[in-house]
Amino acid sequence: MAALKDVAIIGYAQARNERQAQATEVQFLFPVINEALEMSKIPRREIGFTCAGSCDYLSGQTFAFVMNLEAVGAWPPISESHVEMDGAWALYEAWVRLQHEDIDTALVFGSGKSSPGNPAEIYPLQMDPYTLTPLGFDPVSSAAIQARALLDAGKVTERQMAEIAARSRRDAMKNPYAQVTGEFDVDELLAQPYVTAPLRKHDLPPISDGACAVVLATGDKAREVCERPAWIRGIDHRIEAHQPGMRDLTTSRSTRLAGEAAGVGSAPIEVAELSATFTHQEPILREALGLGDQVAINPSGGALSANPVMAVGLARIAEAAKQIVEGGRRRTLGHATSGMCLQQNLVCVLEGEQ
Amino acid sequence: MATAHEPCAIVGFGQTKHKKRRDDLSLPGLVREAAERALDDAGMTWSDIEAVVIGKAPDPFEGVMMPELSLADALAAVGKPMMRVHTAGSVGGSTSIVASSLIMGRRHQRVLTVAYEKQSEGNAQWGLAGGRSGGMGAGGIFAPWMRSYIRGSGAPEHIGWKVAVKDRLNAVKNPYAHLQLPDITIEKVKESPMLWEPIHFLESCPSSDGAAAMVLTDEEGGRAASKPPAWVLGTAMRSELGSFPGRDTVRPQAGVECAEMLYKEVGITNPREQIDVAELYVPFSWYEPMWLEGHDIAGPGEGWKMVDSGETEITGSFPVNPSGGVLSSNPIGASGMLRFGEAAQQVRGQAGEHQVPGAKVALAQAYGGAAQYFAMWVVSSELQPSLS
Amino acid sequence: MTDTAGNATTTSGDEPVTMMEYFMQLEYSDVVSAPVMRFRDALMDARLIAQQCPKCKLVYVPPKGYCPIDTVELDERNEIQLADRGVVTNYTVVTPVQYYGQKETEPFVRASILLDPPGGMLILQDVLDIPVAEVRAGMRVEAVWAPKGERDVDEIGNRSGSALEGSLRGFRPTGEPDMPAEAFSDKVW
Repeated sequence: MAALKDVAIIGYAQARNERQAQATEVQFLFPVINEALEMSKIPRREIGFTCAGSCDYLSGQTFAFVMNLEAVGAWPPISESHVEMDGAWALYEAWVRLQHEDIDTALVFGSGKSSPGNPAEIYPLQMDPYTLTPLGFDPVSSAAIQARALLDAGKVTERQMAEIAARSRRDAMKNPYAQVTGEFDVDELLAQPYVTAPLRKHDLPPISDGACAVVLATGDKAREVCERPAWIRGIDHRIEAHQPGMRDLTTSRSTRLAGEAAGVGSAPIEVAELSATFTHQEPILREALGLGDQVAINPSGGALSANPVMAVGLARIAEAAKQIVEGGRRRTLGHATSGMCLQQNLVCVLEGEQ
Repeated sequence: MATAHEPCAIVGFGQTKHKKRRDDLSLPGLVREAAERALDDAGMTWSDIEAVVIGKAPDPFEGVMMPELSLADALAAVGKPMMRVHTAGSVGGSTSIVASSLIMGRRHQRVLTVAYEKQSEGNAQWGLAGGRSGGMGAGGIFAPWMRSYIRGSGAPEHIGWKVAVKDRLNAVKNPYAHLQLPDITIEKVKESPMLWEPIHFLESCPSSDGAAAMVLTDEEGGRAASKPPAWVLGTAMRSELGSFPGRDTVRPQAGVECAEMLYKEVGITNPREQIDVAELYVPFSWYEPMWLEGHDIAGPGEGWKMVDSGETEITGSFPVNPSGGVLSSNPIGASGMLRFGEAAQQVRGQAGEHQVPGAKVALAQAYGGAAQYFAMWVVSSELQPSLS
Repeated sequence: MTDTAGNATTTSGDEPVTMMEYFMQLEYSDVVSAPVMRFRDALMDARLIAQQCPKCKLVYVPPKGYCPIDTVELDERNEIQLADRGVVTNYTVVTPVQYYGQKETEPFVRASILLDPPGGMLILQDVLDIPVAEVRAGMRVEAVWAPKGERDVDEIGNRSGSALEGSLRGFRPTGEPDMPAEAFSDKVW
């Protein structure tokens, strides 16, 4: 693979995550895009390429993403594309587009409202329509099977899972966008009943309506407008077998492959923002990415404190960028996932200059 | 011509036989039929492919959410990057462009791209109506705009019938096309039931099951290809707001700018002369003259005259949709990729019976939403053709 | 082998494939946004309200809460009262396709109406009290409101757009002379 052109994150913004937002997706996306553009100091009309991520089934409407164009201000017309995936893949598409060298800026966003529909009804439609959808294979049940496999393999304990939840919610107290925050006692969490054994309520993500927007710029353009850009040093994504029975659910091969291609192991990572939407997925991802105890995981509170589906992965990358732009960190990582039991994964390595 | 990016070549193309119902195939079977043909055409196997880009129109059309997840195995994407594009009706075109971008951005050397729709497994009319009664269908939305074009250009009513006949007779030369209507006549089109005034039944696209696929490579792959490659000279995508007071829906600005950007990148100054053949997204007959004008191939009010004088027939000076076009096969998500792939086949000299003799430069276009999403590319038999 | 509907299926190529129908139903409960709530209240009162962008002066009906052209947010202060009469700028006659949930059986009209000043476009409106074949661009029309006791806005949400038939049944000719259709060629959508 040829050498990468320098591309950096120079602006980002998120919506405050909430359940049953009264604002429509466009209405709450609107200020998010404005804020990210304002931070980047790039005038809206100068953006070279725009790419969005969202999902019709989440919205319960065909062509739902078409309305989201209204939040971008697509008049006069813009150069634009859309993925039916988390906004993190929209960022990937925009980053590839910036490699062509004819444009120097891009706007990326992801958005979704999870609360209008019932996840247990909607997500089985994401499974193989012939063999798995008729079984009503929903995300919590599939996650529970994965957690059980991990517990049986001795790779995690229920206490460790509760500790991850407590830490995430505590860290989320400092995150103005987070939805589930506060101090929780691990013993008290463990005393709660199972929702779907071995998962308790704290092992599950909240249902969130939210959005995230990111502005990208190439080399000199990024340096010109941003004091400390978060440079994308590596980004890659991989998918693996769909049938959960075809995979070892206690590991994430696709995350490992994406991490290797993104160069995670070539220097120490200080902070990792992981799309672990269930507590037990954090140790799976840590292992796949080779992240040791010295790495701070999800200081934003992660997906366990706010899970705006279709934006949550992009928000992890935005949070990892924030650690560099505002937090002065040297090297961070953002991760996104798609499908059940971590079927598809994206890894983005970011660096600040010394 | 700017060549800061890696050149991209199409070295393989495949499509299914398009039909009202492909009930002999599952969804994985449908995409594999097209993908295997593209791989065979490229002289490659699944393991040669580094990344997969898949596109289709709204998921509720088949009832499978984010189907790339369940199709990953069938498309041998396990362990590879896989993306899913969705830009309404233009998706087959934008999916092709995203795949070419992975080559041009030097991410990969060999990419497989696939687009499909299995309309028989759902109900697109229901989907377009959002489940409500009184749904208009796409034809109902576009009909007033076509009437505006007719009123504004002074085009005689037989122009629409003529396009309908031309595309269906072209489709007779294309064994993959859904509709095979060798006996179609102007009279039959005119006498067919009125669906959305001014659009008759035979001026409207069918509802099809089908898929299209392409294998794209970098310059090295294009030069090493066993069959002649098609070189991507330029790509463009443009989107605009679907609805606001005063929007020009007949000649949308996004379509005008998309073409302008593309011609500039490729170095085209006179599209009507420099382009040998075009595959345009024409789901309703009147869109052929509308896009000829909407993409500045013909001047204002001149598009219908090109149709009337036979210039857009296979034997004409500017053939449009020699494959039969969307009017003959409409697996929605794949319809754009069929335009992009058929354009490539023309410059590769692989279009079979509907080959335009000597075609060197071809234009492909797809549009979607409320005629607000545009994707276009120009392909050529040469990487640096002299555009005379 | 049998499928879930109990029909015999086969995996060999010798026998025909058996298909099964699989209907699914998903329920979504969307929260109605603030501008649409006010729009609903006005409809119950047989009034049409819209938001007007202070920059470009374009009129949005139903109100969106923002102007997508100027990317500014709009609120109550930008709301205006509209006329309930205007002119047909364009239309189509639809022959209904019988998909699941379709209630229309006969050809019906969907027209774009440009309301009298201060303006505003209502698209996809029914035209009443006139044979389908006589509808034309340039025709003057007025709103036909549902009687007060029958008015219903339950179907109106964030996504229903211009589907208002529970309260605004459609438009009917006023009998005034037609206006020149060409003057409205850019007011179609």
